[in-house]
Amino acid sequence: MDLPGPIHEILVLFGGFVLLLGGLGVVLLTNPIYSAFSLGLVLVCMSLFYFLLNSYFVAVAQLLIYVGAINVLIIFAVMFVNGLEWSKDKNSWTIGDGFTLLVCITITFSLMTTIPDTSWFGILWTTRSNQIVE
Amino acid sequence: MMFEHLLFFSVYLFSIGIYRLITSQNIVRALICLELILNSINLNLVTFSNLFDSCQLKGDIFAIFVIALVAAEAAIGLSILSSIHRNRKSTRINQSNFLNN
Repeated sequence: MDLPGPIHEILVLFGGFVLLLGGLGVVLLTNPIYSAFSLGLVLVCMSLFYFLLNSYFVAVAQLLIYVGAINVLIIFAVMFVNGLEWSKDKNSWTIGDGFTLLVCITITFSLMTTIPDTSWFGILWTTRSNQIVE
Repeated sequence: MMFEHLLFFSVYLFSIGIYRLITSQNIVRALICLELILNSINLNLVTFSNLFDSCQLKGDIFAIFVIALVAAEAAIGLSILSSIHRNRKSTRINQSNFLNN
């Protein structure tokens, strides 16, 4: 959007903060209804990001389809599946869980160190110069 | 510089979604985390479309394809969940062992 610089940055950081909390809520909360509503918060936050990235149609489609249809379907599924077995969901921490945690942390840190080191605009100019040569 | 922050959020959602998708005992929680992963993919697509491709918006159009695909797949996944629940009365993932001997 054509917002002034500081307002744009403040909205991105605010949306990112809500996104972090919502993501933790989806993953760490044990009650599945809380987890599904936290997913709804994450989807609304993504829609805010799409508005800030000048993609108005994708933002509205995200609100309508994801929040309005998919999230409602997920909440219906959580409500109508029998709730007696939710409490014995994750009592044991297996060795596979630890290995998966290690792999996911590795993926996160390797990507987060690769992203600032990549010259994105260098890729853009390289592809543009290839088109000029052709 | 702001687009790198958006890429960081995308990486965070992706890794959290993959972790919980693999280690959850519950089919509904796995479907919820699948939505998280595909949303992170969409954020990446739209970010790069805004940055590199402001006239043709190819990334935007592909993001809309992904949204439609995820809607269809969530509907089918949840219907499979409801039929499993109707047949077996429990939806734990480690009970899906028909391919064993």
